[in-house]
Amino acid sequence: MRILRSVQHKFCADGSYMKEYVLDEPVSKGFFEYLKYFGRVEEMENLGSGFYKFEKRDFFSIKGFAGEISVEVRFKAEVMDMTSSFLLFLFSQFKGEESDIAALKKREASLVKRVKEQLYGKL
Amino acid sequence: MTKPLIYMNNAATSWPKPPEVLEAVADCVRNPVFEAGRGSGIKSADYVAEAREDVSRFLGAEDSENIIFTSNATDSLNILISGFINARKGCVPHVLTTELDHNSVLRPLHEFERENKIGLGVVPFEKDNCRVSVDAVEAAVQKDTKLMVMTHASNVLGSVQNLKEIGDLLHEHGIFFIADGAQTAGHVNINLKSLPVDAFVFTGHKGLLGISGTGGFYLRDADKIEPTRFGGTGTNSVSLSQPREMPERFEAGTHNYPGLAALSAGIKFIEREGLKKLEAQTVSQTNFIIREFAKQDNITVHNKYPDVPVISFNISGVDNDDVGFILSKVYNIVSRTGLHCAPLVHKKIDGGVGSVRLSLSCFTTDGECETTANAVCEVAENAHTKVCSA
Repeated sequence: MRILRSVQHKFCADGSYMKEYVLDEPVSKGFFEYLKYFGRVEEMENLGSGFYKFEKRDFFSIKGFAGEISVEVRFKAEVMDMTSSFLLFLFSQFKGEESDIAALKKREASLVKRVKEQLYGKL
Repeated sequence: MTKPLIYMNNAATSWPKPPEVLEAVADCVRNPVFEAGRGSGIKSADYVAEAREDVSRFLGAEDSENIIFTSNATDSLNILISGFINARKGCVPHVLTTELDHNSVLRPLHEFERENKIGLGVVPFEKDNCRVSVDAVEAAVQKDTKLMVMTHASNVLGSVQNLKEIGDLLHEHGIFFIADGAQTAGHVNINLKSLPVDAFVFTGHKGLLGISGTGGFYLRDADKIEPTRFGGTGTNSVSLSQPREMPERFEAGTHNYPGLAALSAGIKFIEREGLKKLEAQTVSQTNFIIREFAKQDNITVHNKYPDVPVISFNISGVDNDDVGFILSKVYNIVSRTGLHCAPLVHKKIDGGVGSVRLSLSCFTTDGECETTANAVCEVAENAHTKVCSA
């Protein structure tokens, strides 16, 4: 799955930076289930085609509906330059059950350290 | 199939507009403009003079020359606040505002406070009735209080404030009183002849049903406010000084003719339909939605008795942004979420997280209210989120 473009963006009241992304294919329930390896996923399956929200603390949140081709992402603005590339990986490396979770977790681990240092100083 | 759009964000900008508003804008752009002092020959319509008369009549002002046009309510508030402070150079007046006010008031005042040009006091509102009491204002008044700027109705809670009693109190203390009518003009009857305000701010694109880019203020005594912008007025052009007469004192540069044509048409539409009738309709619809919400115990409505058609609520367990997102994507309902540019209100009502706001207009139908109430209740029914973990 690939991000084709962002269609709108704004700074939110909580200081986060929102971008709505259009994807090259509809986002699936399976994609949000895969995201649970990287953060917290909430589901309200009876609303529309199923509402999902993924939250990765200090990185970003992703929300959307299964079957839709757009998702809304809210970045923690201070570290967005570091975390936006990880977002792209999460989309592009999703291959259903064949997704290489271990490789992505490795990439995530190195990024978590840098993000924490940026936000909270040397630990 | 896409569901029909339901627009519930009229407190931000009203939509749709009456057909005659759209026609007035088209006519204005299609034909050459006549304005006294700025053209001669053909006299088609003097949009500025006509709009000034319409606003003056609609708001019950003594004289249309007390009505000044600006580009929006924020612009008006900036002109009035800056002009008041500039007229008192050399002293640092104490200024009051309220927790209910919008950033269009709070930010200019905080900027002046930061520059040590004013002292600032913020009067709290009462959570049970969403109003600022006269007693609270009296308690906040100091010896050096010279100005109070406050909203006529909260854009979050929809509560109309008691300008009469507060204004009378302020005038007893010789305090200049600016009321922000962004949420009331076009929704409730306003009679500036009897309201004890020194200035009253309005905007064209909300309840008055005009288009964005128009607003203004009523000013009882021009000498109390220094002009803050200078330029051509089409009058007394030999002088390099800004005219001190009204309305030229505050209106430099070319007016927004299509916007003023729209404002006139919007006001005439309201007058023709009858403000009382329109108000009764939107109040009844607002009450209907609030009654429907009461059936869900996880919906908190922050003011159950709003005076203008504004409903702020939260659903426990769901972020207000998520509620707005779901309403938009699943039901095609436009709401507004977050702090609504009024951060101090939210500190008190929801701990500063923000709320979902629905706001109606005279074009909102009963069916749209029913669909919206059902949609919000459905979201509330499904608010028990399932958390997936690895």
